[in-house]
Amino acid sequence: MSELLEKASAALGVPEALTKRSAEARAAETGADVDEVLAGWAGDAPPPEAAAPPSEPEEAEPEEPAAETPAEPDAAEPEPAAAPAATPEVVVEVPQPEPVPAGGAPAFAAAARPPVLVGVRDDPVPVLAGVVGLFLIVVLVGLVGPALPFDPPGARSSEIPTSGLAQEGKEIYSTLGCSFCHTQMVRPVVADVGLGAVTLQDTNQVLGLRRFGPDLSDVGSRMTSTQIEAVIGGLGGHPPHSLAAEDLQALTAYLSESQTSPDEPAPADQDTSAVSGEESDA
Amino acid sequence: MAKDQHIRATPAEGGDRIATAHFVAGAAFLVLGGFAETLALLSIRFDGMFPISYGRLEPMANLTLMIGFGVLSLLGGIYYTLPRLTGTRLWRPELAGVGLVAIATLVLAGLAAIALGLGDGRTPLSLPWWLDLPMLGALAVPFLVTTGSILRREEPRMFVTLWFVLGGVTWLPLLYLAHFTGDLPFVSSVTVAYADVFLMAGFVTMFLLTVGTGLAYFSVARELDVPLASRQLALVGFWSLGIAAGWWGVAQLVFGPGPTWLAGVAAALGLAFPIGALVNAANVSLSLEGSWARLGERPGVLAGITGLYLGAGVALLAAFAGFRSVASVVALTGFWEAIEYAFLAGVGPLLVAASAFSAVPRVTGRRLHTPARARSFVRLTLVGVIGVVVTMGGAGLLTGYAWIGGSNSAAFIDAGEGWARSSTGSVEALWLVAIGFAVVTLFGHLAYASAVLGTMTRGEATTQEILVTVGASDE
Repeated sequence: MSELLEKASAALGVPEALTKRSAEARAAETGADVDEVLAGWAGDAPPPEAAAPPSEPEEAEPEEPAAETPAEPDAAEPEPAAAPAATPEVVVEVPQPEPVPAGGAPAFAAAARPPVLVGVRDDPVPVLAGVVGLFLIVVLVGLVGPALPFDPPGARSSEIPTSGLAQEGKEIYSTLGCSFCHTQMVRPVVADVGLGAVTLQDTNQVLGLRRFGPDLSDVGSRMTSTQIEAVIGGLGGHPPHSLAAEDLQALTAYLSESQTSPDEPAPADQDTSAVSGEESDA
Repeated sequence: MAKDQHIRATPAEGGDRIATAHFVAGAAFLVLGGFAETLALLSIRFDGMFPISYGRLEPMANLTLMIGFGVLSLLGGIYYTLPRLTGTRLWRPELAGVGLVAIATLVLAGLAAIALGLGDGRTPLSLPWWLDLPMLGALAVPFLVTTGSILRREEPRMFVTLWFVLGGVTWLPLLYLAHFTGDLPFVSSVTVAYADVFLMAGFVTMFLLTVGTGLAYFSVARELDVPLASRQLALVGFWSLGIAAGWWGVAQLVFGPGPTWLAGVAAALGLAFPIGALVNAANVSLSLEGSWARLGERPGVLAGITGLYLGAGVALLAAFAGFRSVASVVALTGFWEAIEYAFLAGVGPLLVAASAFSAVPRVTGRRLHTPARARSFVRLTLVGVIGVVVTMGGAGLLTGYAWIGGSNSAAFIDAGEGWARSSTGSVEALWLVAIGFAVVTLFGHLAYASAVLGTMTRGEATTQEILVTVGASDE
């Protein structure tokens, strides 16, 4: 068998292991002996009858350049190529025992010839340089530019002085993911009228991107600590958060100190039911 | 079951084995992410329904869909495609394997950290810095493997897919690095906000769409044996997607505390997004000229073209939402949530499927199990995502108009609340319908995972694709 295998392999131009596997598969499919199949492929004997024309293992044809420019509808043939590239790696289709439906093409018959996948000669290094260069431009436009300070000296500041406890509360605010539902960003638009002073570029608040709950930039001017604690605990439809006492205290301190209109009279410490409509904006 | 159990497919080796592993891991994360996203939407509509709130569920869903599914699955497509376009084996497949394990582990660790309240609260992923740093390293691995393979290529001519792949794997770690700057202690809150939107926008345009489109070009040409209609169009689409990343993130913060020049300049740049997406979709359509009738028997190609057009449509919405007049209504609302959902749960999976439904059967030597299931994935995902975009986007519009009508102020002072009150019921009803469509999408995700995993375990034996070295006497 080894001699037959060697001959068949040489005839087909593929490694012996693949030839052997293919022959075994063909033999299983046709009920013939492996040697008969190999002999057929080696040219010593006619190949055994199969349910469909045998699709022998074959190398992928050398790649040819494809017409990547708009092709004529009926002109899918590749343009004449320069010399095919020396490709040490190829794709080999190993026939498996599935019989080909009568009149139908093998499932991946086209895959053995990949000329449509060839482009033009290109150097990836300039492409890489262009990719990095574009990224730098995008960073300048989308990140650095917007973040540059532009407030003239002496302009009103929206930075809010916070205590040490409130700083801890800000951390808790972040880890709880509050900014996924709440903004701390008042915009100069009609929609934000009544939410407090417009947020400036020098803010130290967590801006947020969604407002499924109310904006909290100025919540300290609107609600008392008791009310804020009650909402965090689940009042007014707010998802209840079970926090340790010290964490709740810190978070409450942070929100209480979030005041962009501190000149407003502080709200009276009233019944917590007064805030039941707090979360109705989602 | 396979008809001939005694005929065993040759186990995939090297790069193909790694590619398959990426597809499998990605499919698992897609189901997990789709489930988490549905829970997140439910948690908005039904406050307090779950032990963890939307603020943690949403970044968990984002992490799973973006990194767990999107990155891993597209890397599977890249690792499958590279040897076939470069004429050389994948460079350092063992390094790619390490990257897979590292990314999957970090995603799981990130999910645990966020659930336990250890996240940093930054959109979109909320990963703490001690997970951000190793993630940055893990995301650099695909860049090394890809550039290593391309630079060692034997095929001097580059099919356009290599441009998209090279761009995507280069931009991904750079995007993450730019986002990581927001973790530095000295940066301002405004910088953090822009870094956050930059990652989401950049991920969608510079990685998800870029790599997904490049792989779709490969799959269409390969499956249908048709040449690419236009290399020039493909390159226009490629660079346009890159440019678009600079804007549609910033668009969410129009009227925010950024420079005023930004809105005008960036609105113009924002048009690059739909242009890039449309150009690619049109290019594939032109390539399919004369082959449209064969889409039914090629679910991968069907998924690819569907994903490209869905992406173009949602990109149009994103560009639309970036104009100042529109942004004054829809910014900060569910409108943008709908856009992000469409890309992560719809466009991404469809483009990934274009590659997976073509690669997995070839590498494993098994027929797609089953084409009908694969087509169901396309249908369910398309219907579900369009439904979510329409209903959630509509809810966002209503919410925005309600704010203009005075609902923000009405929460605290008695002013102009009539229109707001009347719209609240409609918004809640739309959210409920959106959740229903999200469940439809989830079933689509299940169909995708079932098709990929079913192909590997139960697909009928068929032609297998094996990479060999020409001239070797044996393996």
